[in-house]
Amino acid sequence: MKNWEYIVLIAIIILFVAVPFFTGPYILHVTTTILTFLSLALSWDMMLRTGQLSFGTAGFFGIGGYTAVLVYLIFNMNPLLSIIVGGIFAAIIAFILGFAILRLRGIYFAITTLALSGVFMVIIKNLSNITGGAEGTILPSAIFNGNPIKIYWLTLVIAIITIIVSELFQKTKIYFAITSTRNDEIVAKSSGIDIFRYLVFVFVITSAIQGIIGGAYAQQYGFVSPESTFSTHFLLLPIAMCLAGGLYSTIGSVVGAVLLGIIAEYLKMQFPYGHLIIYGVIIVLVVLLMPRGIAGTIKDILKKRR
Amino acid sequence: MNLINRFYQRKNYKISGLLVVILFILAFWKPYALIYGIQRGSLYVLIALPLALSLGVIGILNLAHGDFLTLGAYLAYWICIYTGADPLLTIIPVLFALFLVGYVIYKLAITHVLKASPLNQLLLTFGFAMILEESINFLWSSQPRNIYVSYASTSTTIGSFTFGTYEFIYSVTAIIILVFLLLFLKRTRMGQAAFAVGQNSRGAKLVGIDVERTYLFIFSLSIAILGIVVGLMLPRASIFPMVGAPFTMKSFCLVAMAGLGNLTAIFWSGIALGYAEALVQSFKGYGGWADIVFFIVLIIVISIKSYRRQIL
Repeated sequence: MKNWEYIVLIAIIILFVAVPFFTGPYILHVTTTILTFLSLALSWDMMLRTGQLSFGTAGFFGIGGYTAVLVYLIFNMNPLLSIIVGGIFAAIIAFILGFAILRLRGIYFAITTLALSGVFMVIIKNLSNITGGAEGTILPSAIFNGNPIKIYWLTLVIAIITIIVSELFQKTKIYFAITSTRNDEIVAKSSGIDIFRYLVFVFVITSAIQGIIGGAYAQQYGFVSPESTFSTHFLLLPIAMCLAGGLYSTIGSVVGAVLLGIIAEYLKMQFPYGHLIIYGVIIVLVVLLMPRGIAGTIKDILKKRR
Repeated sequence: MNLINRFYQRKNYKISGLLVVILFILAFWKPYALIYGIQRGSLYVLIALPLALSLGVIGILNLAHGDFLTLGAYLAYWICIYTGADPLLTIIPVLFALFLVGYVIYKLAITHVLKASPLNQLLLTFGFAMILEESINFLWSSQPRNIYVSYASTSTTIGSFTFGTYEFIYSVTAIIILVFLLLFLKRTRMGQAAFAVGQNSRGAKLVGIDVERTYLFIFSLSIAILGIVVGLMLPRASIFPMVGAPFTMKSFCLVAMAGLGNLTAIFWSGIALGYAEALVQSFKGYGGWADIVFFIVLIIVISIKSYRRQIL
């Protein structure tokens, strides 16, 4: 990166930190939601860069949320610490699961992760004496006593950490390992890359991020229930965002998240029930017509101009 | 990763045979679980067979499979409501309607991703699954709907057991469809073409098979068969927007258990899974856990396969 790029970056971060001081509560709430989905989208894209399609976003998000709420209630843990515990627990589950299924990849991995949120819903409904069953659990108070500005900063910190992790994946040797695995597994293997270890590593890291996001989200609303915490929303929207923005890059997911996040907020007010259909349509259309997403298409156009 | 198609694979017969023996031993222990397990498992088989067919021939896992089932169920439901027809009679119109839906979806979308990466194929069918689920939820609300017919609650008493007999229609139909599909793949021109395309699509093209038309037919057929299933299900099951979605995962679980392309083994795997679920349900207070049995089975199957280094 050149010097001016650093300056722009720092300016953007300062701008985002300062958002609460010059906007109203509604804009702040929307920005918090967009940042939450941005982190989710980015964590999904990070796993996709290895060539493995994970549908577990909603599952790990929900696990993080439930863990954070339950450890807070049972052990009276500090809410911030409970969010981290949520992430750790999601990581542990991802490790066990990844160890079992990442040797056979492709559709096995995709469908197992797709089943995850349903499976966790069943488990939570059945352990009703701990988790509150189908009705869910309500916390006595939200994190920071529901102060929206502090909640916004918490979400911002998580989003920035996610972006940094994503950039680390793009800049270090992990990038070469996972990209070559995605492009051609046999070539990657014969160049001495331990594919399995990298896959498990990326899966655990991204799941931990999703768990942390889920924990923060649950603490923010002070409420978890099987239907709302494991909602398809947290799977469908991030995927649509990444696809719309462009896969395999940090900037693509960020662009997609901001764009779709704003559209989503508008759609939610216009069509309170049917708006999820549109994300399905976006996924289908992007896969069929614009496989490189908006960011990718713009990059292509710029390249042609040069 | 090539999806190698192996119809009539012999290797899994031993495992299936062993499972049957275990089933009979357990039958004396919990007879109700066996009866309900067979009924439930036959339904899984009915839904898994077309999924296995399209996965084996086209090589695309249709994540919207269960949602096409939901769509068919609502079609059948509205036909019953508006015309007052018997649910079983809706099979014929729904069969053709779903064939048409499959035809359109293939022409509009699937044909364009045949050469794309498996990631894009999965994302595409996932997108369709979401569109179907959310549209159905939006149009007809999440309220469960039922159709009552008197023959659906017939029961038989043998000795001290009383059990519903209607659901055995699933088992009979499952066997009929299995035999039909096996004969279709062996005896008819289209079936033989599908068999060849499934094994090696490039080779099939070289010997003059119209691969595109075969894919189109198999994809539409795999969805049309669901029309039969919904007609049979309607008298017994409540219809709601998520009624079909869990079947996609369970069907895939059966395909993984049976090994791709082994249609007969899907039958035994289905019965085994249905029985395992019914067994879990028969324990008081633990019935809710039945819905994760398929996941545990799937994980075990994947672990065994990765240990043997088999690739689907």
